[in-house]
Amino acid sequence: MKHLTRTLLGGLFAATLMTSPSFSAGIDGAPAPFDKGDVDIAVVSFLGGGDWLQAFEAGVKRQADALHVNLTVSQARNDNDTQRSLIEQAINLGVDGIIINNGRPEVLKDVAQKALDAGIKVVAYDVNLDNPQIPQIEQSDKDMARLVLEQAVKDKGDGFVGGAVYVAGFAPLDRRYAVWKDFVAKHNLTEKATWGVVNDTVPASVADQTKAVLTANPDISVIFTPWDEFAKGVKLAIDELGVAGKVKIYGVDISTADIQLMNEPDSAWQATAATNAAVVGEVSVRAVSLAIAGQFPGTSVLLQPTLVTRDDLAKGEIKTIEDLQEKFPAFRKSDAATAEWIPAATN
Amino acid sequence: MTTLNSENQSSAGERLSAAIRASAVFILLIVMVTGFALAQPAYINVTNLMSILQAVSVVAILGAGVTITLAVGGFDLSIGAVAASSVMAASYSMIVWGLGVYETVPLVLLFGALVGLVNAFLIVRLRVPDLLATLAMMFLLTGLQLIPTAGRSISAGLILPDGSTATGAYDPAFLLIGRSSFFGVVPAPVVIMALVAIVLFVLTERTRLGRLLFATGGNELATRLAGASVPKLKTLAYVLSGTLASLGGIIVAARVGRGDVSSGASLLMDSVAAALIGFAVLGLRRPNVFGTIVGAVFVGLLLNGLTMLNAPYYTQDFVKGAVLVGALALTYGLGRSQAR
Repeated sequence: MKHLTRTLLGGLFAATLMTSPSFSAGIDGAPAPFDKGDVDIAVVSFLGGGDWLQAFEAGVKRQADALHVNLTVSQARNDNDTQRSLIEQAINLGVDGIIINNGRPEVLKDVAQKALDAGIKVVAYDVNLDNPQIPQIEQSDKDMARLVLEQAVKDKGDGFVGGAVYVAGFAPLDRRYAVWKDFVAKHNLTEKATWGVVNDTVPASVADQTKAVLTANPDISVIFTPWDEFAKGVKLAIDELGVAGKVKIYGVDISTADIQLMNEPDSAWQATAATNAAVVGEVSVRAVSLAIAGQFPGTSVLLQPTLVTRDDLAKGEIKTIEDLQEKFPAFRKSDAATAEWIPAATN
Repeated sequence: MTTLNSENQSSAGERLSAAIRASAVFILLIVMVTGFALAQPAYINVTNLMSILQAVSVVAILGAGVTITLAVGGFDLSIGAVAASSVMAASYSMIVWGLGVYETVPLVLLFGALVGLVNAFLIVRLRVPDLLATLAMMFLLTGLQLIPTAGRSISAGLILPDGSTATGAYDPAFLLIGRSSFFGVVPAPVVIMALVAIVLFVLTERTRLGRLLFATGGNELATRLAGASVPKLKTLAYVLSGTLASLGGIIVAARVGRGDVSSGASLLMDSVAAALIGFAVLGLRRPNVFGTIVGAVFVGLLLNGLTMLNAPYYTQDFVKGAVLVGALALTYGLGRSQAR
């Protein structure tokens, strides 16, 4: 009787849960275990939502489908402790690989090591776990800055007078600002001022600062903003001062909100450089798959950014990130962490 | 539950329905675990069950605190904020002051007790209603925890508001509180949770003091007439609740190894839910420590299983809410029809 009840209940549950991923077929010619299929990958994100995460997860799913991989996707919703628990859970689940998307190094280092000890391959995006066995997937900050600054030199010529918004102590900002310093030396630019602040209301605070700077230095014609929140503040200041014809912004990063700002009539924001979140997702899956197949992708997997100018947006009638992904081919693919046996992700 | 009519049988029916109500939560628990285990065999292995217990340990400890304040007829809304502030306080003590585990832990527990004492002062002396007093304390702490670092998260190499760099680091011995496990199987937080559960269970269910706590919640006047000091009992309840919340914060800090502004945001809701689900356990229809622990574990088992089956987080919130609604319906709805 007891046994019967259990069977019945079990059957009921199994029936309702049939939607969980089933065994998937392998890929011919792929190295083990991908030739047999049934590879499990867990994706643990620190964030809980937002456009960026959605695009990232869409990319993860596309590439995982192409590789016939079973996915377990979870979000820690900005909670450190939850992220640890989710990684521990993935270890218990006995997955083949874990993708850690963002988070804090001191929170995750030891659980990541625990996963490695359990024979699970780990890759990390945008969180430096400082472990030679964990490939770090990063967007190339240097290349982002280089792309927009080359555009600035192309537009304005050598020797222009400029300023940069910059706050020390944030690794990506430090790397981007270093490129600006190089350009200043190489192209004979004049750096009139450096300002910036990081707080709860970055755009508003930066706007106040920028107004003061521009009033004091009316000869500034280019402002380099290594973070899009800075660009928003600078644009606000330029609009309020009415000097959009004279001062131009060269920024880094992109979002739908940023695209709208660049698209505004007579917008001062001329160009930006960014990587595509969906491509980050695809590359993460490829990198962990290479590791699972025994083809270590290296400790650093760099994503090449794309330059996006106002003209590009206007020509393509691009209004959102989705438009950009659809209509701007360069934004769609990355050749980072590829192999012949890995099929391309399809939309 | 039954349609039997004759008097003899109806009393048997009543007994049956009481028995079902008493064990309803456990029956559901067994069904749930069986279902998840069938769908995903990895669910039931010991390491995963320990992970689940570890994940719920903080919520269970905070829930035990809520339970005691519920017992005296109060409600402590500040526990989540106390836990979050304790994470910050522990990080500050080690990273900025450079203290070790033996100074940090007592200091943070003392901080929790102090908050409880202030809560009790507001409630007992100034006669501010419990909900309002602890709500105000919640806001106060949410702001207070940001003042020492000017809103920054605390990690090694923190730059202080005066421009200098903090030189301390997390004491490795402190991290053991959250990250070590006994015999390589039972995580330390689970052991702490078990100890807290046993001590509080004995205190509330097996001692005169415990009976007086519940009596305060049941009928304050009668308790006073029986010769007990209601203000002292209430103060004790809030000090216990604050101390337990800071203990929860210590465990979180020892697990994550840094002090983040966002820590502990969801702890209040989860621990209150655990305490309320606890009402339904054993059909007691009152706050009880054992029920709270079962409630926390119940939610933990459910969430872990759902994550393993790839359910997105918003369905998890929904399910959490559904469990709470179900438990409350079980407690009040069925309880009342039975009393009639």
